[in-house]
Amino acid sequence: MKSFFRMTYPYILWIALFVVAPMIMILLYAFTKDGGNRTLIFRFTLDNFIRFFQDPTFTKVLLTSLRIALITTVFCILIGYPAALIIANLPERLQTLMVLLLTLPMWINMLLKTYAWRGILNDFTLNSEIKVFIGMVYDFLPYMIIQIHTAIAKMDRDLLTAAYDLGANRWKTFLKVTLPLSVPGIISGITLVFLPAVSSFVIPKLLGGGDYVLIGNLIETFFISTGDWNFGSAISLVMALIIIASMWVTRKLDRNAQTE
Amino acid sequence: MRKLIEFRNIVKTFDGQQVLKGVNLNIFENEFVTLLGPSGCGKTTLLRILGGFLEQDEGTVIFDGQCIDNVPPYKREINTVFQRYALFPHMNVYENIAFGLRIKKLGNDIIRQKVNRMLSLVNLEGYGKRNVTRLSGGQQQRVAIARALVNEPNVLLLDEPLGALDLKLRKEMQRELKRIQQEVGITFIYVTHDQEEALTMSDKIVVMNAGKIEQIGTPLEIYNEPANAYVARFIGESNITTGLMKSETQVRFDDRDFECQDYRFKQGEAVDVLIRPEDIAIVPPGKGVMTGEVKSVVFKGVHYELMVETRIGTSKTVKMNVVTSHDLSNPDNGEKISANDFYVDLDDLENKEFTDLDFISIANAQAWDEENRDISLTRVSHNIEKQPGVYSITFGTDRKTEITVKVYVVHPEYVEDARHNIGISALDFFITPEEIQESMAISTDLKTWASAEAWNLQDDSPVDITDVKFDFDPAQVTEGSYEITFATQGREYKVETTSRHEAGDRVGLAFGPENIHLMRKEVYET
Repeated sequence: MKSFFRMTYPYILWIALFVVAPMIMILLYAFTKDGGNRTLIFRFTLDNFIRFFQDPTFTKVLLTSLRIALITTVFCILIGYPAALIIANLPERLQTLMVLLLTLPMWINMLLKTYAWRGILNDFTLNSEIKVFIGMVYDFLPYMIIQIHTAIAKMDRDLLTAAYDLGANRWKTFLKVTLPLSVPGIISGITLVFLPAVSSFVIPKLLGGGDYVLIGNLIETFFISTGDWNFGSAISLVMALIIIASMWVTRKLDRNAQTE
Repeated sequence: MRKLIEFRNIVKTFDGQQVLKGVNLNIFENEFVTLLGPSGCGKTTLLRILGGFLEQDEGTVIFDGQCIDNVPPYKREINTVFQRYALFPHMNVYENIAFGLRIKKLGNDIIRQKVNRMLSLVNLEGYGKRNVTRLSGGQQQRVAIARALVNEPNVLLLDEPLGALDLKLRKEMQRELKRIQQEVGITFIYVTHDQEEALTMSDKIVVMNAGKIEQIGTPLEIYNEPANAYVARFIGESNITTGLMKSETQVRFDDRDFECQDYRFKQGEAVDVLIRPEDIAIVPPGKGVMTGEVKSVVFKGVHYELMVETRIGTSKTVKMNVVTSHDLSNPDNGEKISANDFYVDLDDLENKEFTDLDFISIANAQAWDEENRDISLTRVSHNIEKQPGVYSITFGTDRKTEITVKVYVVHPEYVEDARHNIGISALDFFITPEEIQESMAISTDLKTWASAEAWNLQDDSPVDITDVKFDFDPAQVTEGSYEITFATQGREYKVETTSRHEAGDRVGLAFGPENIHLMRKEVYET
């Protein structure tokens, strides 16, 4: 047992170096201020957070990000659910093929796909928010479909037969059996769509043009262009808290759906 | 009783295979009907057609005087208890049972009344809030029954509902189901492959085989007067043999004439004869109608199940000569050599070219030097002729070490049993005590050593030799001559008795004319 534990040392080291240490640094940066001339003064301050929440431009970016992620998720469910349902009702071999076709674009680099969309969307005069939506929904849709499809496919078919037998027609069977039993799939789909959508910055940057700023872009700007790591870290921390909070909510929903 | 359901000439084909071959069946009100048959006989298909989950290719289903061929399942007054219960995992016990009532949009107080009544019918009071996935199999079963019955259907379909339960629980649920059926007073159609389940619960049993109905009747009728050998085998234990009617009240089987009380068959007609194991009484040997030897005894709890052999099969007895091998040594070079005497069948001698190697292997001839290394036998000479007699054969090595043994050429001795169409043959043989002691499966080895074979006289197909009789102890065999009898399967009777017997006992079997059931001989497509 002891020698087995020793085998985990490299991983612990790895995690400490590349996960824990950067987090501590973000924490450190977020609560301190640049002393000028690239010197770090270890003095606890909330200035970065005050600056973020007092400036309406920043809070507006945060709200826009949340809104975009939310709408993206809703659209993914609206388009993805029927798609998953149709796929789950296909013969087994076709199902495998469809799932393969769905996962295929996921293997292509997101940057490439987004550039392709930029090429396509350039020919249309759409406002930048709609362009960002299209890009985001396209990119995240497969995750949603696969999660819902898995939930529906693993459902016992006898349950549908039982529902017909008990007097439910197709629509009622869907509402009372299929839909509630696919809720866990929807929830894990939300986790996979909403969370990355909140923090995405490549899609809004490439499709929305420079004038379209989401929280991801904001962080990028402060770290790369402005070089204000303290403020960038503070924004990152705010976003991390939002993500943790939404994970907690979905967990809770998921558990309710399962025990009910 | 009023006729409730009528199946008219139902045909169903799956992938080119006819699963139902024109089934006609009437089911009445308040009946507990069991569709009984092995898996693949079409019983579940028939049930699913009635439930509306499958559509027949031909024929009509009449329900309460109306054709229901085009009525979808959710509009049929029929509910089903599924094989694996199919309870909704996202609902508690109460909501599962209330499902059908909520679809009908009944008021909450009415639903509560009905569900609670159902919970007490299936003995699950107080279980309403429980999670169905955490219930035991028996409890899930009860919920499934309650969920179906709460809709007050005219017919309840049960598709092997007790299959997943253990024996004790299954027995309990059988009584429970019967009680529920009597209490609610509706028709139950129950599908099972378990004959005991069918006998216990049903008012009427429908025995199915390969898409057809073999017999319809009460459990007593099915058990006591099976229509044919198939039904007899499926229901209960049975001894079945072929018989021939000598007159209207006399049947011949097992080479004897028996009086019988079945007048349905004419003189000269071939029939199947059924005698139930529990109808045969064990009496002292010589008494009763037959005498036989107990071959095996199995304890079954209340009774013993004996296999009694009343006629030994076709047999052949041979002599086994046990001899210690004599090694000869050559004083010139220290080499040693050994070989056994052996028998050869004249037929084989005429039909087959024997090589030197064949003789070496039959005689088990070997030679070895002072350091125990094998030496090849290079010289074989003999004076064997194709005529019965005693000859000699000499095996030798390059360095003039020699041994001479006897060869007995004998007429082949077949035993031909024309009445039972069986031939059997075996040869005397020589063997050393060591070879017998080293044998792991003595009966099988004896068959090999004696070249014992049995065959069908008509088509030459091989017949199993099931019996090897000998009276020596393989572990302590000494030189001498022993008799070994090889025999094919004789006539055996399965008997159920409460008295104790040991294998090898001789017993008499007794049964009367009333115990001899005659059945129509059926020819089955295979």
